[in-house]
Amino acid sequence: MLNYIIKRIWSAIAVIFVVSFITYFVLMFIPGDAAQLILGTDATAEQLAELRTAMGLDRPWLIQYAEWLAGLIRLDFGTSYLYGSSVLELIIERLPVTFSVAFFSMLIASVIAIVLGVVSAIHKNKFIDYFSRSIMQLGSALPSFWIGMIFIVFFGLKLKWFPISDYVPMSEGFLSYLKCLVMPCTVLAIGEVGTLIRAVRTSMIDTLEQDYMEMAKVKGLRSKTVYFKYALRNAMIAPINVFGMQFAKLMGGTVVIESVFSLPGLGRLLLVSVEQRDLVLLQGIVMFITLVVVLASLAVDIAVMLLNPRIRAKEGGEQ
Amino acid sequence: MLKKVLAVILSAAFILGAAGCSSSSEETSSSSETTEAEEKDTLRIAYTADPEGLDPQKTSAVSTLEITSNIFDTLITCDSDWNIIPDLANDWTVSEDGMSIIFYLNEGVLFHNGREMTAQDVKYSFERLVLDDSPKASMYENINSIVIDDDYTITFSTETLDVDFLLSFAYPWVAIIPEECSDDLKTNPVGTGAYKFVDWTPQQSVTLVRNDDYFGTKANIENVEFVLIADYTSQLAALMVGDIDITEVTADQIDVLNSTDGLKGEIMDHNSIQILALNQENEYLSNEKVRQAIAMAIDKDEIIDTVMWGNGTKIGSHLPSTSPYYVDTTDVMPYDVEAAKELLAEAGYPDGFTLSLKLPKPYQPHCDTGQIIADQLSKIGITCDIEIIEWATWMSDVYTDKNYDMTVVAHSGRLDPYNFLSRYKSTSGDYISLLSGDVDDLLDAALQETDEDARKEIYAEIQYILAEEVPCVYIQTICKFYGLNESVQGFKRFPIDILDLKSVSFS
Repeated sequence: MLNYIIKRIWSAIAVIFVVSFITYFVLMFIPGDAAQLILGTDATAEQLAELRTAMGLDRPWLIQYAEWLAGLIRLDFGTSYLYGSSVLELIIERLPVTFSVAFFSMLIASVIAIVLGVVSAIHKNKFIDYFSRSIMQLGSALPSFWIGMIFIVFFGLKLKWFPISDYVPMSEGFLSYLKCLVMPCTVLAIGEVGTLIRAVRTSMIDTLEQDYMEMAKVKGLRSKTVYFKYALRNAMIAPINVFGMQFAKLMGGTVVIESVFSLPGLGRLLLVSVEQRDLVLLQGIVMFITLVVVLASLAVDIAVMLLNPRIRAKEGGEQ
Repeated sequence: MLKKVLAVILSAAFILGAAGCSSSSEETSSSSETTEAEEKDTLRIAYTADPEGLDPQKTSAVSTLEITSNIFDTLITCDSDWNIIPDLANDWTVSEDGMSIIFYLNEGVLFHNGREMTAQDVKYSFERLVLDDSPKASMYENINSIVIDDDYTITFSTETLDVDFLLSFAYPWVAIIPEECSDDLKTNPVGTGAYKFVDWTPQQSVTLVRNDDYFGTKANIENVEFVLIADYTSQLAALMVGDIDITEVTADQIDVLNSTDGLKGEIMDHNSIQILALNQENEYLSNEKVRQAIAMAIDKDEIIDTVMWGNGTKIGSHLPSTSPYYVDTTDVMPYDVEAAKELLAEAGYPDGFTLSLKLPKPYQPHCDTGQIIADQLSKIGITCDIEIIEWATWMSDVYTDKNYDMTVVAHSGRLDPYNFLSRYKSTSGDYISLLSGDVDDLLDAALQETDEDARKEIYAEIQYILAEEVPCVYIQTICKFYGLNESVQGFKRFPIDILDLKSVSFS
């Protein structure tokens, strides 16, 4: 187990290295740089050249990249030119927002997905199955900014149940914190739930068709025991991968939802860093997102191992 | 099973709903109490993009200057009618030869850190303003000496005569700053302004509090909070529920706002002109007749009616209609499709050709204008390849590399015509410089002409030349549209990029 984790950490470092290199490379070849944006539409060519030199933008990109990498090894993520503050600080400030949004929307989506997925698998091709499949279709088809707007107009403007544009951190009141997250998390969950229901349903149908399920029924076990003790546990192995990846995706920030509900999350910071060509900030965020994805897939693997003794045994065998 | 699941879902929905209801009723009652019983003491203004740091000398971003103009002061400033008025300097004298200006500073003006502002700080601020990383450095290159006469008197001299020199002291980037705080102004601005900086949470808000030691008339409202709401529809929704008091809106919302209880929509003149820039180095556009044909094929009224809902003033040259130096040149190239077709045929292109039209994505009105122009030009046989590009790409491709055929953009925020027009000098290297060189001498002459009427005549001549030679098609003086809470009074726009919040009050 430990060996396996160490192996995974090494591959994670390799992934981070490759991703950072690619980001730098791509950014160097898209038009526009920070110096041009700072100077705006009044500057002369000489001024631009001077500022580029002052900011170090005129040096070969490989050297710039090497310097950034050297900083990273010392855990120095650099300073954002746009905000004038440390990149690490900027990312850490956004984490509570992004984590809360990812956590609650996954919570809402998973509860709905597991319940509807299991029920529709058990009642395949009955009313409840069609019902949950329709939700699946709708959730994936409706654009989230549109649902977001509908929510704002109906629950925010008309009913005044939830705030429209105010993010309240947990430290300033737990209830207000929850209230400002209800709308964005529900809208995100609607988008995610389709994929998750599909994963649970398919996997559950598969499991229910296994011979040992018949065996369990023949043995006279109560259907509750059969479905939840035997079937669900086995059926969850495949969906857990999907859940993990969806969570990692949400941790990378959700630009549209963050814009619509004015949440100061990682997604908009990423967008701004690209738009403003704040390379150091962009690299920092990309590193962070890569790290989350790598960690999430590691966590998923461990969860699957814990759920499935066979995989556990196989990994043990490799030791 | 089905029943159980339904029961769970329904009860969950009920609990959520009930929780929402109960807490919202608390909130509505408390918020109505605050508006009625206590006096409202926080002005909340929505903005869509973070400022580029809060150091007014190190950016060209209007988003920064609109906030910092409340934290910092300048020696002089201007009112909404373009008049120069005292600020940190209570008076000034321009020498007879026009080459130097003496400013007399107010005594007892305190920085927010408690130290008194003196002529030494003014000198330091101007020295910092011309450093390499200041976007506006080139505007102040002409200053050759800054002499401190005493703690409250300072003299600026220029190398060559610049009759508009005084005006350059009014822009928000010539903020007077304390040297000891200069290193981290970007995140912690310290000035002498009517509001003190409290806090900036990137992507969320900037908070200011009234400076009770302010040397001038103190601000009416105690707290100001700039709230970042990236989405325009969400901004409008926030205005409607009363979360914010002031937000910029699009032209089509003005009527909606005016018919909504408790809200109002206001249309304000903006010192800004919208242009269609034509690259004179392009194979077709290097021909003056082609440029004139394009100018005559564009129906500016249709653009103003469609994009700005009729709010905007059509112009014929590169000065806003609000400028004291503006002359109406709209009849030089009137809208006339037939004449445009003839001009194009004379130029040797009776069947037209194809040009690219690059539009800056963050500016929706320019993108909308571009679409209409493409349609109008198709009527004289010119096909436009529309390319919508992000701002950084526009800065790089269009502005810096001049790699474009046509683009729609705006220029704004200058008090003196020279700063608006100097980019047309054939030697300026600007993306719209007039390559024929026909305005070069006139621009130099205008800068040296001390007689106001004679100067007006020179600027009029320049405007006519631009209207005839068409380096750009000049579309309109742009208006700004605001949605306000009905209680907000005294909110005004200025010809320079400042927001003067100390005069705003709640009724």
